[in-house]
Order: sequence, then C-alpha cells, then structure tokens
Amino acid sequence: MNKADIKPNGMAAEMSNGQNPILAIFYCQNIPGGDEGSRQELESHYGESIRLFPIPCGGRLEPLHLLKALETFADAAFVIACPEGACRYFEGNRRAKKRVERTQAIIESIGLEKERLGILLGSREKPKTLSRWVKELSEQTSRLGVSKGRRL
Amino acid sequence: MPSKYVIHTKPVPHRFEPITKSGVIAWEEGCLKCAVCVKNQCVYGVYDHRHMDDRQMVDSIDNQCMNCFRCVQNCPRELIHKSINPDFMVMGDSHWTPDTIARLWYQSQTGKIPVSGAGYPGPFSGPGFDSMWTDMSEIVRPTRDGIHGREYISTTVDLGRTPKNLVFTGEGEMNEDIPPLVHIPIPMMMRLPRFGAVNDQTIKGWVMAARHLDTLLVLPQEICSQYPLEVQRHLVPSIGTGFKKMAPNKMTRMVELIWDKDWDKNIEVARYSYPSAIVAMRFPLSQGVEEDIPTALDAGCPVIHLEGRMDGTTLDQPSQYIKDGIRRVHQALVERGIRDEITLVASGGLAMAEHVAKSIICGADAVILDFPILIALECRMCRRCEKGLSCPVEIDQADSKWVARRTINLMGAWHNQLLEVMGAMGIREARRLRGEVGRAMFFEDLEKDLFGTLIKVKEGYELE
Repeated sequence: MNKADIKPNGMAAEMSNGQNPILAIFYCQNIPGGDEGSRQELESHYGESIRLFPIPCGGRLEPLHLLKALETFADAAFVIACPEGACRYFEGNRRAKKRVERTQAIIESIGLEKERLGILLGSREKPKTLSRWVKELSEQTSRLGVSKGRRL
Repeated sequence: MPSKYVIHTKPVPHRFEPITKSGVIAWEEGCLKCAVCVKNQCVYGVYDHRHMDDRQMVDSIDNQCMNCFRCVQNCPRELIHKSINPDFMVMGDSHWTPDTIARLWYQSQTGKIPVSGAGYPGPFSGPGFDSMWTDMSEIVRPTRDGIHGREYISTTVDLGRTPKNLVFTGEGEMNEDIPPLVHIPIPMMMRLPRFGAVNDQTIKGWVMAARHLDTLLVLPQEICSQYPLEVQRHLVPSIGTGFKKMAPNKMTRMVELIWDKDWDKNIEVARYSYPSAIVAMRFPLSQGVEEDIPTALDAGCPVIHLEGRMDGTTLDQPSQYIKDGIRRVHQALVERGIRDEITLVASGGLAMAEHVAKSIICGADAVILDFPILIALECRMCRRCEKGLSCPVEIDQADSKWVARRTINLMGAWHNQLLEVMGAMGIREARRLRGEVGRAMFFEDLEKDLFGTLIKVKEGYELE
C-alpha cells in the first residue's frame, strides 16, 4: 500500500465519543490494495471511524448488508467493486450497483439521505487503491454528519 | 489398575460466527420465481433460518451451508454460486493455516475429533511433522472396542528425575531419598501464548481448565502469586531476572527458570521460595543446546523445556523443525547416558493433536501448548492485538467459565486423538511411546535409503 495514500487526518482521534460519522465499507477482494495487510493498516490509522468488510465479489452484497450496517453502527455505507466489465463473476459489480440504487430508494423513503449509501466502481485506466478510496470516502462522509438512523 | 482418565466434553457454542472457507453468492436478479425454489429444497434448511450477524456482517447461510452444492447445481438460471471467503484465506500464516485454525475451533466447540469423512486426498508428506508417518499396524485393536473400551491406554507421564539405580543399606532400607516426581494424566501442559487479547478472566479460565484436567499451566510468577493456594499445585511459576525471595510456597509442584546469564542466581531464589518444587529450565531449541543441558541437570534442574518458534522451527535455524531438534537432543542425551534422569518438554508450533504424539515419538516426554488454547477461544491469529487494534472476537470480553470449557473441549479432543494414535500402534503407555522412533517412518530417512545412492559416483570412478 502506498503510505502517501493514508496521510494522517486526525480521524482516529475524533472517533472516541460515538457522535462522529462511522463508515462501513464493503469492498471486493479483487480491487487493488484489497489485501489483509492494507486493511489492518487502514483500521489502525482510522480507528473506529471506519469498518472494513472484504467480500468475495461486489455481487455478494445484498441490501440487507447495507441496511443492517446503517441500522446498527454506520452513518454511511459504501461498496467498492471492480471496474465495469472486469468482474470475475461477469456481472457481480453490475448487480451490486442495482442493489445499492434499490437500497438508496428504501432509505430515502424512510427519511434518510440517499448519499449515505453508494457504490464506487474502479477504472481500468486509472485504478485506485483501497486506501485511496477510503481516504476520499472518509472526507465525503465527514460532511454528512451523524445519521438519524443510528441515533434511533 | 487406576481408574480411567477421561475428559468429559460437551458442546460449547462460539460467541462469534466463525469464518467459513467458502461463502454463498445467491443472486436474486433474473430469478424465474419457480414454483419450488431450490432454496426451499435445501436439506439443511439453510435459507429458511437466514439471519445476519451485524457485528461482523456475516450472513448465516455461509456458516450453515454444508457444501452439498445441490442449490448451485439445480437452480435453472444458475443464480447461486459458491466462492472462497477472503476473510478465511487471510487467517493465520503458513504454519497456522486457515484449515488448522478452523479444525481447532471445531474441536473446542464440540470436543470431538474432526473427521472429514471423504478420505484423505494428500499431500502425504510435507515439512516438519508432516514428514513423519506413524505406525498403524495395530489399528484393528482400538476400532474393535473403541478408545474408551476395555483396553486401558494410559497417557500419564512423570516429570522429574528418576535415579539411575537404587542404593540400599545392609538392612535393606533405601539409602537415599527418591527424588520427587510430578505425575500428570496427559502429556500436555499449557502456557500463555506470546500474543493475544488476553486478560485476567482469560487466564482464570485457563487456570480452571488446568485444575479440571489435572495438568499444569505455566504462568509468569507475578500472576501465579495472585491465585489461592489450592490451585497453586496446577500452576508453574516462570521466573525471570529480577525475581526476589518470597515466603516459601510448598504447594507449587514445579517452577520454571530461563536459561540466561542469571540462571544460577535464580535457581537459589527459586529453591528457597518453592522448596518442594521440581525445577525446570527453559532452553531455546537451537544448535548445541544439548551441550548445556548436563550443566542444568547437575545444578538440579531435571526438567528441560525446549522452546521452538511459533512456526514449528528451531530458534536459530529456520530450515530445521522442532521435530529434528527434539530428536537430536534426545539422541545426544541417550548417548551420554543421562536421558532417563531428564524429562524433556517441548513447545513451539504445536498446532495439531498429531504433533503431540509425534513430539513424544521424537523424544519429548510431554509438550506445552500455547497458541492452540488461544485459538480455542476463537482467535483468528490475525495478530491485530500486537498492533494495538481491537480483537475481532473480543477474547478479552470472554467469561472465564466459557474459556475453561472451550479449553477442556480442545484438550479432550486431543487426548482422544492421542489415544487413537497410541491404540493404532499397539502402545498402551505414553511413557513407552517416548523416543519410539521405530514406530514411525521419517520421509527424509526413506528418501535417503531409496534414492540416496542415485547420481552419486564412487570415488575413483569416472562417468563415461
């Protein structure tokens, strides 16, 4: 993992009072930098502010995963999958995309912002590592604040 | 004949969903909505009781699936797949493999011997203990009556010094005191693993297990002293540099010292503080260790603990495995004629029940287990605790009774496997198994015998 990707941003220190955004990230094991060592390094850096869940394929993810995460501990949940046309299971990432969109509609109907869910597909030309994705996502979710769903 | 030593086990559930080798990928899109879905036909009812563990985001279908592949094969749109679980594959390392960890979990949960039921496809040889094949010429005997049947197979071992010969006075009285021996009913002791999210409750659980099993648990001296006198006989205080004399404790049966520059000072302090205890000396299992063992014996340490690395190799030579180290030390002591005066105890990288029997065959009298008792508590050997990260299975939150019962289950399963191995060899005494290399075949020896002379040219001859 490129160390430059995880420059300290003070997130770990913020996460002690339980009122800061917590991010659940489900990522396909086949994305660059999706190995266990990178995962531990990221968890050590971001502390409790992110929870990382490797999955065998983006298509493994179901709406239940995202809803359960939002219900129990997360303020936002994201899926990171392989680029279009590069899925090892042919269409796992496409299916994951549809499921996330369906789940976004569900959370919108109960009054949560749909931005709290999302899917990120990599690019074949400019592949991003897991740590780069996490850095971008953590900045994005810090603007969203604590979810109403988690406060319930 | 003494009453049979049996470890009674009962299932102890996991606190967290275990990580399974494979997961189900069941896609909904494109479903034909068949009148009778293959998911409803699952003979194990996996899809009927589906739920999600929100602490780990683990879907119950992954854990309950029995890999019959019926749903995968029968779905008309092929919407169900099985995939290797990435979380499973990253567990442990090359020695503590994911399969080894999963089998240890199973044994701690059920107290039963893991049986695949599908034959063994190989490989038939590998590094370390895997290059040893044990004798099974008497395998008909235990299967006829079971390991807990009429035949009594004793796993008791003695720790301490046995005199070379007895000396009597003219009146027929013994002329010298017989040195004390510690008997343990299983050749397995325990000690704290080098890492792990372990706290007082965890250690208390292991102490309870050691007491229940009537074996010994090696703990740092400062921890041992916190426990009441009635459990001291099951604890082995490990004494390092800086230990000072304390009020004599006569309940402790064995004390462990470390072979360092201060060992001769520590031995005096240990003798004063634990007057009735046998003294064990812990040596790093490395080249030339056999040269120092007689010195320790002469100083009054009849128990020698040979400590290997956690990956099953010796401390100074990564290419040598502890089995080779134990054999070498055992043989050296036999040649010096002092083997029977010494008890050899081995530790490091013992990950499977077969390693216990194989260590004893190589020359150890008993073994000390460390990481298996941690894995019994669902440890994934992720070593996050070493980096200050939270334990994914919160071992530090485990209740001491649960810890004790899981440890007892593991030891029960290993004891049964030791009985199976000994029964298959026709050996009824663990003490007689020690150094019994004639009951095993070593791949490297066989290879040497069979192919050693090939491609070698006698001196004086030339290839044409």
